[in-house]
Amino acid sequence: MAVTEAPARAPVAKSKKAYSNEDHGRLAAMLLTPTMAVLLIVIGYPILAAMYQSLFTTNQGVDESGFVQEGEKFTGLDNYTAIFSGAAGERFWNAFYNTTFFTVVCVVIEVIIGVMMALIMNKAFTGKGLIRASILVPWAIPTVVSALLWRWIFDANGVANNIINQQILWSTDGWQAKAAVIIADTWKTAPFIGLLVLAGLQVIPAEVYEAAKIDGASAISQFRHITLPLVKPALLVAVLFRILDNLRMFDLPYVLVGAQKPSVETVSILAFLENNNARFGSAAAFAVLLFLYIVVVAYAFVRLLGADVIGDARVKTPKAAKRRPNRSIARGDTP
Amino acid sequence: MTTTAPGPAGPVQKEGPETSAASPRRPLRRKRGAEDLSQRGGPIWALLAWALTLLFFAPVAWMVLTSLHKEVDAATNPPSIFAPLTFSQYGLLFDRGVGPYLINSAMASALSTILVLALALPAAYALSIKPVEKWTDVMFFFLSTKFLPPIAALLPIYLIVKDLGMLDNVYTLVLLYTSMNLPIAVWMMQSFLAEVPKEMLEAAEVDGAGLLRTLWSIVRPVTMPGIAATALICVIFSWNEFMFALNLTATRASTAPVFLVGFISSQGLFLAKLCAAATLVSLPVLIAGWAAQDKLVRGLSLGAIK
Repeated sequence: MAVTEAPARAPVAKSKKAYSNEDHGRLAAMLLTPTMAVLLIVIGYPILAAMYQSLFTTNQGVDESGFVQEGEKFTGLDNYTAIFSGAAGERFWNAFYNTTFFTVVCVVIEVIIGVMMALIMNKAFTGKGLIRASILVPWAIPTVVSALLWRWIFDANGVANNIINQQILWSTDGWQAKAAVIIADTWKTAPFIGLLVLAGLQVIPAEVYEAAKIDGASAISQFRHITLPLVKPALLVAVLFRILDNLRMFDLPYVLVGAQKPSVETVSILAFLENNNARFGSAAAFAVLLFLYIVVVAYAFVRLLGADVIGDARVKTPKAAKRRPNRSIARGDTP
Repeated sequence: MTTTAPGPAGPVQKEGPETSAASPRRPLRRKRGAEDLSQRGGPIWALLAWALTLLFFAPVAWMVLTSLHKEVDAATNPPSIFAPLTFSQYGLLFDRGVGPYLINSAMASALSTILVLALALPAAYALSIKPVEKWTDVMFFFLSTKFLPPIAALLPIYLIVKDLGMLDNVYTLVLLYTSMNLPIAVWMMQSFLAEVPKEMLEAAEVDGAGLLRTLWSIVRPVTMPGIAATALICVIFSWNEFMFALNLTATRASTAPVFLVGFISSQGLFLAKLCAAATLVSLPVLIAGWAAQDKLVRGLSLGAIK
């Protein structure tokens, strides 16, 4: 069919293409500009403002003539050197460790439980719709509500202690506070990962499994060689967004356990506390460091798995498909 | 030709014989082709699914149940499950003026979602159907807007909003929520739009349809499940947003989560009242989620996988 059409359409298409390339560029720019503008103003500006702010220190105390000093003075990188030195340094590294710890542990647990949920939800049985709807509830309700719920559950006289029949003070400092945060976070976001994976699972044709079954593949090898590779793109996007969210984790540990608890203090909480103490420069410095950390992690993630996250997996157009090998080579990706 | 096969093994599945034992029954409950690709599960799967669901749903169920109890029944430990039910706690909430908060939340979520869709659809079009050069870089830029800790953005945004005299204004929240949800919306829509068959677009071009016409008459209907899923996610995220609402609004433009937190500090000891408030604040997103869960899954599966 394409062959018969080709001679008739070729000249038209050619002249049109030459014309539309420039046109197309302008059109694309026009389409992207409003979105870019909104993001640059509402999100780009605060980043620059935070970086600028981090170079200033709020004046404290009185000057030589006994007047209370007001305003701020430029102190260069002092805020940053202060973060890395002495007791403040220990506190920062602790928060940095907590942030990383929560991110890694939460994402791993959530992915395992989320994939399990998706596999279960993908089965046919009675009440499937109801189960899917109920399992999404934790993800949909406001964080404020879920933090409240888990504070009740982890209360000294709460449900958690009743069930395990122990008297654990969950909101005091230590491993139990960390566990409480991880459990609450998993409860809230594993369903979302489950949902994304389920969406991926539903596109896998049943024939693929049939073929595998005929070839004598075991259930486990079916999962490893069919399900996992086909769900991977959806899963990676979900994981990326979860990593970004968890690195910025703030409200859950803050509401559930509270401030001044070193075992759950994240970098975001440090920034928040500095802000509350009107040390805006120092707060901004924490925020900028966290920002840079997230940039590095996200860049590494996209770089290592980029082909699946942004590139190949999301492209279907023939044009892009043709470009694919070049891009992978240029990026040094291995499939 | 059977249309179903025993399940892919989850890490949980060990019972090989169990699944094969189910196969003789299979022709009886035959599925309708590509529409339903799910694998048949035995009773063990159903049991597992229900157990998992109960585990995840229990805290919310408990919250809703307590909200329907009288304060006396809610205060007992363990909670008295079979106490008489009453809606009186909800009546009290409306007496305390929760109405305007809900309206503010509804306005902020609805308007920002409409704006997000209006901005993201053309942007996604430029990134997928006719990809611009270096479109992956553009995608990474959109992603990079999720790198900034909200704490860091709060102070600069507060200062601007104050200078503009826009504090305590619903439209400030609309704008903020729009920019908050735009990156994820563009990301999702980009993958949905890549699914639109090229032939349809070419046919539209041959017929002389302009851009708006193409977007509205071709792209929109084909990607509708995806758009619905994106919209639902945007509504949920903006309804639940707390920090900006808390810091940028006071009396006129405050949203439902802010009301709830204020309520916690003033009524913290009255469990039933508190549960009623928490349920009421969650209700709109719960209804939206329940009503749209299958659309959400179908919508997400549009672009999830090639």
